[in-house]
Amino acid sequence: MDWSVLWQYRAELAEGLGITLAISAAAILGATVLGVGIGCLAASPSYLLQRLTGSYTALLRNLPLLVKLFFLYFVVNLGPFTAAFAALVLHQSAPIADVTASGIRSVAAGQFDAGLALGLTRLRIFWLVILPQTFRVILPPMTTQYVAIVKNSAVVALIGVTDLTFQTQEINVQTFRGFEAATAATLLYALATALVIWTMARLQRGRVR
Amino acid sequence: MKWERAAWRVIQVLTVLGGGVALARLDWVRVVPSAQYLATSLGRSWVLAMLAMLVGGAAAVPLALLRTYGGRGPRFLAAGVIELVRATPELMVIFWVYFTLPLLTGSGVSAWNAALAALAAIAAASLAEIIRGGLFSVPHGQHEAARALGLRPVAIFLRVVLPQALRNMLPALIAQLVALFKTTSLVSAIGVADFFRAVSVTNNAVYAPGALYTVLGAGYFVSCWAITQVVRRFDNRYQPAD
Repeated sequence: MDWSVLWQYRAELAEGLGITLAISAAAILGATVLGVGIGCLAASPSYLLQRLTGSYTALLRNLPLLVKLFFLYFVVNLGPFTAAFAALVLHQSAPIADVTASGIRSVAAGQFDAGLALGLTRLRIFWLVILPQTFRVILPPMTTQYVAIVKNSAVVALIGVTDLTFQTQEINVQTFRGFEAATAATLLYALATALVIWTMARLQRGRVR
Repeated sequence: MKWERAAWRVIQVLTVLGGGVALARLDWVRVVPSAQYLATSLGRSWVLAMLAMLVGGAAAVPLALLRTYGGRGPRFLAAGVIELVRATPELMVIFWVYFTLPLLTGSGVSAWNAALAALAAIAAASLAEIIRGGLFSVPHGQHEAARALGLRPVAIFLRVVLPQALRNMLPALIAQLVALFKTTSLVSAIGVADFFRAVSVTNNAVYAPGALYTVLGAGYFVSCWAITQVVRRFDNRYQPAD
């Protein structure tokens, strides 16, 4: 084993980590907006909305991320970064929608009636009473979803985005030091997921607003 | 509401009609000769997922037992192994095994064996956590009641705790099986001729992206959907223990 190869390729590894973090952060934001939006629609009592959102989540849940990624990149002809972002957002929006919908259902029951009794409009009840409580309930399952986004982002290496996994492969191709490179990348991914978990834990304690 | 049901029907009909027209316009002539090749590769993905689930399941049981009932050292070790695999991206695990197994065994490892080992490791780590969750979900009073009846520890585990734990694990097991089937698409990256790779190879040869991506999506969707339906049947039959 020759660990010096990691120092030799430190610039590439740092660049890869940066790209992995950037794509993950963007996808986390995008998937949250899309997933929570669809989850809110899914929790509505409307039959039509439930069916439409149900079809959306069923379709996206049963397709591998790689299929979405390659479809967006090779068939829709998006650029590599756009395709990576869109695929990660679409892929994780389905479970996030499910988490949000069940979160809303878990708090909504009596709260809605209480809001009506106070004379609030339905929209204000949803915005001021139900959503804030929902966010508190869904933070732990959302952490799982965000960690999944960071892990799934490794797949974007396969369409040539120079993320951490891509750089690992490059090191392996150039030096045959795949073991050392994979070990380093694994530790860096663990660092990235630890960052997500730490941020979410702080959010949960209400220290960050 | 009534109009909503009617509107949903209209949307369904339009989707089927529109989908049918769109499908008919795709370039099927070029794809038909490869049908058998594609079907075989889909079968290979299924075999890979099932084997990985079996091997992973066999490895998960001792991992979960060590993490739940083991002494300080074994518990720490099992937790370390499980968390390490779970914190690593699936694609990375696959590359890892493909790069590292040859170092350990001293000879080349086929892509298929590396893929199977990697998927089994991924399955083992998640299944161990599912099993542990299932074991925890059985109320402690069940242990005490069984001990009060004079059952030996092995009998308590096999005949009281495990059957109840298995019932509670079923929904998580479905999710894991579906996730594992989707993960098999990643082994195409190390050259295993699974369904995903077969479709890509066919597309390179005959160039019919529309038809082939439809086949690709349909193959995965139907497979995952079938897994969900089959296991959900078990779920209905065995209601979770309260």
